[in-house]
Amino acid sequence: MKKLAVFAIIVLIFGTVSPSLVDGAYAQNDPSILLPIAVQADKQIVNQLDRVYGDQIPNNLQILYDKGHGAVYSLDESLPNDIEKAKQDFLLAMNSFMQISRIISQSSEKVVVVTVSDKSNRNLTSEIDRLEKYVKTLETISKKYNADVESDFIKIYDLIQELRQQVNDLNEVNVGIKKIKIILDSIKNDIRESALEQRSDFIKRFFDRLLNQFDKQLTKAQNDGLDQIQIDKGHELILEIRELVSKNQINDAKVIFAELKALMENIGYSVRIT
Amino acid sequence: MASFIEPIQLKQSLGDDGILFVRNDSILDTMVKTPLLVASMIIVAALLPIQSSFSSPRDLDLIIYPDGSTHISTEIDIDPFLTDYELNLFGNTIDNLVVVGDNEFLLDTRIMDDSVLIQTFGSSVITIDYDIHDLVSKQGRLWTFSLDSPSNFTLLLPKNSAIVGMINLPINMEIINDQNQLTLSPGKTEIDYLFSNTISNSIPDPKIETNYFSYAIIGGVLIIILIGSVIIIRTKQKNHKSVEDNLTTKKSTTLDLETIFKLKSDLREDDKELVKFIFNNGGEALESELRKKFLQPRTTMWRAVKRLEREGVIEIEKKDLQNLVKLRKNMGDEE
Repeated sequence: MKKLAVFAIIVLIFGTVSPSLVDGAYAQNDPSILLPIAVQADKQIVNQLDRVYGDQIPNNLQILYDKGHGAVYSLDESLPNDIEKAKQDFLLAMNSFMQISRIISQSSEKVVVVTVSDKSNRNLTSEIDRLEKYVKTLETISKKYNADVESDFIKIYDLIQELRQQVNDLNEVNVGIKKIKIILDSIKNDIRESALEQRSDFIKRFFDRLLNQFDKQLTKAQNDGLDQIQIDKGHELILEIRELVSKNQINDAKVIFAELKALMENIGYSVRIT
Repeated sequence: MASFIEPIQLKQSLGDDGILFVRNDSILDTMVKTPLLVASMIIVAALLPIQSSFSSPRDLDLIIYPDGSTHISTEIDIDPFLTDYELNLFGNTIDNLVVVGDNEFLLDTRIMDDSVLIQTFGSSVITIDYDIHDLVSKQGRLWTFSLDSPSNFTLLLPKNSAIVGMINLPINMEIINDQNQLTLSPGKTEIDYLFSNTISNSIPDPKIETNYFSYAIIGGVLIIILIGSVIIIRTKQKNHKSVEDNLTTKKSTTLDLETIFKLKSDLREDDKELVKFIFNNGGEALESELRKKFLQPRTTMWRAVKRLEREGVIEIEKKDLQNLVKLRKNMGDEE
């Protein structure tokens, strides 16, 4: 028995620790990818330096570039045998190149840092791409609910095609995007209406499943001789929730449900996660 | 001597201070019931994966658009006993949010600054899609992506973008539709990139090479046939040309590589490579082109070019503020 128990403990300890070992191994996946990234960054930095400074590179940038370039060479030599060294080389190279590109941007461009949420920075093609992706997601959902919105989607796809042809005309694109958004709002309403019945069933099923489990737990607590007042209170709350759900007063049901959960936790009979 | 050593258990009398020492080999059994220990460990082991899996993204995929806006798609395991679930978003400029529960059930949401309250009602897995504008900033031509991720994630960079700096190690990289996709670890990530028209497909992907191995073999055979045909045709043309050359006695101004290396037999191997490149490039090349080709720092390349100039192999001319390196035409005459 003792040997079996020791064996079980060892297995459990290994079982508990092993997921972290697997994660570690995943993080070291294929270090050979580091070299092409670093080489490409090196080339891009050389292009940048040439474009901005020609043959008159400032000394600080030259030093940084030499450091980064040297690290790329060292990375090439470290792979595939010395992975740890290769990682250090990669980080050193990319850090040096990052510093160079930031210095170049600060010194040579008369542009302040902007987040892309700034509307002056709009790229209409990207905006149309994002909108199309959103439309496709809604289309998939609408099929699930059998919402009668197929013609609306055809209209939207036609508009998107038109927008792509007028991508250089900001006003036309703005008008087109507005039209699409109006149709999308109508589609979302249609989906909500179609989903109403299914959604209501879905929520009722959720409460039913949980309340049945709470009910069983309360019976168990009663058999275990727990305080009858608490158990009665629990049953009252369950009845109240059932009534609210049947009247579709979901938000009120949620409040009482939170109260029931707290009570069950207090008496030490919370429902297990299945 | 050994007979004087007496096991402590056998001592009949107590010490001066009256303490009784008891040696116990089975302390584990005495103090902790083994079955209890095993049962506790089973419970701990069973709960650990549940605790770590809830509320942590199962998948997190990011797509950066050319304007820096980012599409986020994530799948999260949640407690099926919850009625609501509050999720922290990666910023507060959110567009096109869609949350779907089990069986692609559309869930109701309410955005509150940089978080969203989702009515999950028993869903055990939710999928969240949204666009965000807070993750990328731009300075001049340089774009910077920043994220503090709670889990591993994939990041698809825009077409024609090239990474020029990053602060952490990528786990993996693939090319999808001519775009680089990185897999990155949890924690703070910063990636600088810029757009360049010169990038056809930025980084060679070893996986693609292996996937198309059979195509590579067919391609290789075709290339060999093509090269063979070209060599045969060229040999024929050369023979024809040499006869013509003899007839016209046209004086060639640039020496061939073999002659250059014969005349300058003490050239360094790396310098010979430079000369070869210049020769194949029509006898001239910009110093910047040489740096790009051989990935040499500016100073190293400058020294190499100066060395070749001293040797009399090349001459340097200024062209649009750049150094144009040319093979010398009268090298043979000097010798």
